[in-house]
Amino acid sequence: MTAVLLSVLALTLAAVALTRRRLLWGIAVLGVHSLVLAGLYFSLAAPDVALTEAAIGFGLVTFVYLLSIRRTGRIVVAAVECPGLLYPEGEGAVGLLWELLRELSTRTHRELELRWVERDEVQALLSTSEADLAAGDLIPSAAEAHFPEVEFLPTRIVRARLGPGPLGALRGSREAELLPKGGRLFPHRGALLSALERGELGGVVVNLLELRTMYLGGKLREAEVEPLEDTSFSVLFAPDEEELARTLEEVVAELRERGEWDDLVRRYL
Amino acid sequence: MRIAAVVGVLALLVGILLVGAFGLFPLGDSPDWEKLARAYGAENGVAAVVLGTRLYDTLLEVMVFALAMVGVRYTLTPLSRWKEPVVPERGVVREMADLLLPVVIVFSLYLAASGHLGPGGGFPAGAIAGSGLLLLAMAKGIERLSRELHEGTLELLEYGAIGGLLVLGVASGLFGVRGSGLLVLFNLLIGIEVTVGTWVVLHYFGSHRGEI
Repeated sequence: MTAVLLSVLALTLAAVALTRRRLLWGIAVLGVHSLVLAGLYFSLAAPDVALTEAAIGFGLVTFVYLLSIRRTGRIVVAAVECPGLLYPEGEGAVGLLWELLRELSTRTHRELELRWVERDEVQALLSTSEADLAAGDLIPSAAEAHFPEVEFLPTRIVRARLGPGPLGALRGSREAELLPKGGRLFPHRGALLSALERGELGGVVVNLLELRTMYLGGKLREAEVEPLEDTSFSVLFAPDEEELARTLEEVVAELRERGEWDDLVRRYL
Repeated sequence: MRIAAVVGVLALLVGILLVGAFGLFPLGDSPDWEKLARAYGAENGVAAVVLGTRLYDTLLEVMVFALAMVGVRYTLTPLSRWKEPVVPERGVVREMADLLLPVVIVFSLYLAASGHLGPGGGFPAGAIAGSGLLLLAMAKGIERLSRELHEGTLELLEYGAIGGLLVLGVASGLFGVRGSGLLVLFNLLIGIEVTVGTWVVLHYFGSHRGEI
């Protein structure tokens, strides 16, 4: 009876370990699985095998896995393109956020892996822990309020009106939530900009940084701008990455203390 | 895809379990293992089999382990080394390592020395001592521990253990020597070999990036 119960437990734990997305959890469950296996061998009157299973399966293999994820651990960044903050250049990226992320990477000894995503994919990526953090053109929307976040740059959401016609915003963003009825949603900023160029839109709901980019690009010269909400750009983290969020907070605080923050803001914005 | 793989593997395992549980594999008559154990100076039947009747299997197994180790050493040496960042000692891990290491080492020695009386033996003892070293490596950094351990001496120790095992094994076979003392010696030598082997393999895998 004990043997059957332990076998069922071992199989369940194996299934749990296989379905974990976080490697660390998988390793922990695998260790417990080894211990249960050792108990199973013991209950089948094979203490020698049980001892070896506990020593190798639980001790050695767990350590090897831990060592290797410490070595190869990566920070997967869901990056939303945003001029000034984070935009692609070659293999890497440029921008104020990129400097922050690089500092975070040196501090945690984990390499960065950038994945360029659309704004509306962020929530799914974070809640499944497929990305460890999301950064870029990112003001947390009401649906994303439960993720750990680090605010680093105050901004404002504004409505810029050029003429008659519907307003446009990025799908999934905080701006989209402030869009009045009848507004149109776009998957990424390229689509928004080209719709604006074709004259399909009477205006946009954007943050100040985007407004500045559009203004410099000559698209909103005669717009009527009206503030909607004071808020700030944030870096969002997956629910179990609170420690990483604290580290980033420390990074920002230290940069401010040393006075390098203002240089960075001046250089990129 | 992931779900399908999990279900498939689970079904296979459950199948194997059922086949075993309903006794489809025939069980042979087991010999009187207590008598067998006594004949080799052991209390534990497994030790009598591993170090007595099947001693040659064990010796060859030890040599396979040594070969694997030599293979790792010579194939990984020309690869580019991983530059370990200067990691400050992790407080918690270091404290735990200091606390646990003596216990781990004593327990592994106990297992090696009492392997002929109860569960234990050289292989688990070596694996446990090896994990103890690895725990220390996680606390201090691999390269630092490697410098402190005198890699050259370790290598000599390991080749000595293998040589000793082979000589002892062949001699006991030729002259028909048996007894508890011999088993303890076997277990200790196997323990040393497995400890050093574990450390060497982990060290080489840990300090090379695996890029050519």
